[in-house]
Amino acid sequence: MAEMWINMGPQHPMTHGLWNLRVKVDGETIVDAEPEVGYLHRGIEKICENRTYPQIIPLADRLCYGSSLTWSHLYCMTVEDLMGVEVPERAEYIRVVTLEMQRLASHLMWLAAYAVDLGMMAGFIYSMRDREVLVDLLQSLSGSRLTYNYPRIGGVAHDLPPNWDREALRACNYIETRLKEYEDLYEGSKIFMMRNVDVGLLTKEDALDLGVTGPPLRASGVRYDMRKDRPYSVYSDLDFEVCSRPEGDCFARYRVRIDEMWESCKIIRQAIQRMPKGKWRTVAPRNAPVGTGLGRVEDPRGEGMMYVVGDGSDKPYRLKIRSPIFITVSAAPSMLVGYKMADVVAIMGGLDMCIGECDR
Amino acid sequence: MNLFQFCNGIIVWLVELVNNLWYWLGDVLPWYFGDFFTGIGDFAGSHGHIVVMTIVLESLMVIIVALINVLNFIWLDRKLSGRIFDFYGPYYVGYRIGGWLQNLADGMKLFVKEIIVPAKADKLGFLLAPVIFVGSSFLILATIPLSPNFGIATNESGEFVTAGVLFAFAAFAIAPFSILLAGWSSNNKFTLIGGMRSAAQMMSYEIPLLLTVASVVLLAGSFSFVGIVDAQHDIWFAIPLFIGLVVFLVCIAAEVEVTPFDLPEAEAELVEGWTTEYSGMRFGLFMMTSYLRGYAGGALATALFLGGWQGPSLIPDEIWFLIKAYTVFVVIEWMRWSLPRVRVDQILELGWKRLLPLAVLNLLIAATFKTMGWFSG
Amino acid sequence: MVRERGKVSFFGYVVRPMMRTGRQFVRSLILGRPNTVLYPHEKLVLPQVYRGKHTLDFKKCIGCGNCLNICPNECMWLEKIEDPELGKIERPGVDLGRCLFCGFCAEVCPTVALHLTTEFELADRERESFVLSPKDIRDDAFASTFKEERQSRKLPYLDLSKCTSCEKCAEECPEMCIAMMPIEKVDKKKPEINLAKCTSCEKCITACPENALVSTEVYESYFETPEPRLLLSKCTGCSACARACPTDAIYMMEMPGSEKTLKDGKKGKPKKRAVFVFEKCVGCGRCFKACKFGAIEMPGVKK
Repeated sequence: MAEMWINMGPQHPMTHGLWNLRVKVDGETIVDAEPEVGYLHRGIEKICENRTYPQIIPLADRLCYGSSLTWSHLYCMTVEDLMGVEVPERAEYIRVVTLEMQRLASHLMWLAAYAVDLGMMAGFIYSMRDREVLVDLLQSLSGSRLTYNYPRIGGVAHDLPPNWDREALRACNYIETRLKEYEDLYEGSKIFMMRNVDVGLLTKEDALDLGVTGPPLRASGVRYDMRKDRPYSVYSDLDFEVCSRPEGDCFARYRVRIDEMWESCKIIRQAIQRMPKGKWRTVAPRNAPVGTGLGRVEDPRGEGMMYVVGDGSDKPYRLKIRSPIFITVSAAPSMLVGYKMADVVAIMGGLDMCIGECDR
Repeated sequence: MNLFQFCNGIIVWLVELVNNLWYWLGDVLPWYFGDFFTGIGDFAGSHGHIVVMTIVLESLMVIIVALINVLNFIWLDRKLSGRIFDFYGPYYVGYRIGGWLQNLADGMKLFVKEIIVPAKADKLGFLLAPVIFVGSSFLILATIPLSPNFGIATNESGEFVTAGVLFAFAAFAIAPFSILLAGWSSNNKFTLIGGMRSAAQMMSYEIPLLLTVASVVLLAGSFSFVGIVDAQHDIWFAIPLFIGLVVFLVCIAAEVEVTPFDLPEAEAELVEGWTTEYSGMRFGLFMMTSYLRGYAGGALATALFLGGWQGPSLIPDEIWFLIKAYTVFVVIEWMRWSLPRVRVDQILELGWKRLLPLAVLNLLIAATFKTMGWFSG
Repeated sequence: MVRERGKVSFFGYVVRPMMRTGRQFVRSLILGRPNTVLYPHEKLVLPQVYRGKHTLDFKKCIGCGNCLNICPNECMWLEKIEDPELGKIERPGVDLGRCLFCGFCAEVCPTVALHLTTEFELADRERESFVLSPKDIRDDAFASTFKEERQSRKLPYLDLSKCTSCEKCAEECPEMCIAMMPIEKVDKKKPEINLAKCTSCEKCITACPENALVSTEVYESYFETPEPRLLLSKCTGCSACARACPTDAIYMMEMPGSEKTLKDGKKGKPKKRAVFVFEKCVGCGRCFKACKFGAIEMPGVKK
């Protein structure tokens, strides 16, 4: 059969967003692949230059629908670095709790999308149902379900509602029991293992060369986690492990994310236990000084980075966003070539694409 | 009284009713009109016409039963998958009967939608493919009786054709050709790959499927459904041929394209597979027919392995048959909603390396039983 | 926790996943109910912080327009309306079609008049119906049912027109947070209160012989607001800023010695200047916008 190019995207169930993966297939085998991104470019970095510092927080939420809290937190962290604002300790702990909840919610959403990529509807529905618990908690804390707009420059928007911490602990227990139940559907299922093991190999060297970060990098055997290697917030006080696996295939990526969910539950428990009383917010200055600020966080999808330049006014002179997915997607051809057409969804699903932050 | 006699009675009654009119007209009108109407009456009362009309009525009844079953199946599938997925399923449309009317509402919606034919599609093939798919699927039901008294393809005394099983499986195997036709004529790369996958998939499941059927036929010593079901009077074939039942269910799941084996319409990688370009009621026909094939698959498994209509005589035979067919369908759907999809090379591997040896083993077991003389027929 | 890979039991082909879904089936059909909510008939209880449709307390609102300034999408505007009770007022309206429901407007409101309710069913067929005028979002009773998270405290607010510069309040203050500051070109002093140090003891209020200090409930704000600065040389004393100020923080005071000599030798009226009471200022920038002579500077506010 002759080789042909197939456009998987921009509107395609595999893409989880709006991007185009052009694959060249020989029958069912992939010969070449070429990701194209940029369909969702909204010019967020430019819009930020016309908005005052607090007004950018809801915009930073819109960077990623899967884990919006991470990005608004990253933005606030960066601007605090620029302005030199001290964040109260309680606010830092609240931030850690919400961030880990966001990580859990994001990974569960990834699991749901991954299950439906592989054709397993049960996995999709169960993961989305269990994500609801976390979303409800974050809603009762921040007032919104998807774009939370919760962190503020110099703290967080609201204090914890009464009994919230107890419900968060209960949610941790719930998620852990559910994670055990998922084993039946995922790694207990022979077909799931057939679809995942030894599919989409990404070697350690390739991953390092291509700048892949986050779970795909850790699944290739590199222990690199911003929370441990360059601790921000209060992560240095908390006890958790960096999950890593040496194999570098789709199953390793799946397993790394599942292990991270267990670690997130652990972190939430510790953070709630250690949370001090006190203020949760300080008054942020209106104008930033002349200078630069830098923030780096461990997004659920990889390393997110923001760089802001202040010029003394109440608007940033320049805001640069480093998106993990924009860089990870460039590793797609080296992972895809040689596998079958049906493996495209498994491999690209394993990267957890989020086009909002990728195209900005 | 079997179905033929029942329909025959209705037709004879109807013909007599109408013939009264024709003969009355023949009497009152002048001769040049009257003879014409008397001739019509004579033709309508003739034996050949009555038999043909009886068969038409029979087919209509079987099709209506099948369509009602399909509605039930879609409803059952949605309710079942709803509870499996922790939600309600259809609820408000037909609130008193558990949301049963939702399918009718969906069908009505599909009827009023526009049918789009892609500009560069091969029009003849594109429009012919649903016809072949639906028609061949209805053909499967032609020889499957719900009971000795309810089924078509009989002679006037109610004896079924002897090669019913062969015909049913032959009709079952037509569908991949229409799928390939639909995929190719849509002029779309995704549909083309879907159609090709369907053809490749058929290679892998058809041979083990027919081998298990051969083992059943061997044990029963008959090619007709009535003979096979009668042979299961003492023991269902599911017990001696358990391996065969498992292989048969897997192959039927592949045949009716439910999730572990729905490669031709793999919605994640090929947008909607071979049905991508179809819209409106043509898509609705495909969907309805896939459930119809699920019904046919359940009925075949019932007749071949689960003792057909045999059961305690508290409830009629037909209901026993339908209960068993529904159970098989529920098991297949349950499997559908809880498993991921296999890859195209894996289904070939599964078919040739796992299912074929098992089917041959099954045939060996059946032959052993037969030579031991435990099953006579 | 780390499992050996690739080892799946024989039941993993079909049975184990089917047992999991079957258990869920039993759980949602026989043992309990499905997890979903039958939406139009049952509704979820939303938390108080939920950000839905806006509601505005006309009596609390002072029409300062801080909500307009913070709004990222510029979806609010001030509308002049005649109210039988409150007279001629300006109140904000909101265009829900543009609103992104960030809740900043409620957060920045100095008098907690604006809130976001839990009403979320806002879909409509017409775009015009999303444009809500102030009367559409008016709900004077809502604020009393809403439990404020922002803390309030009682602070002495100065009515400068009554003040006689007697310095009694400054003497009385136990925290020494009241300083008598001379006003430039006006030979008077006004008490300036350091709000950060004030403990709301209200001794200054009781001490004031003229009742010039009024105890007022003030809500904390986490947003640093810009402060207006007067360029005295450009001020003409037209009092446009004082009329524009929503909190009455600007007082027009006569500058003795600035009288012009008229033709008949008499002295005319002295020139006036604007005096700001910064404790009352909410940083809305309306004085800056009202001043036609460029006498008020406000960094970071667009005219």
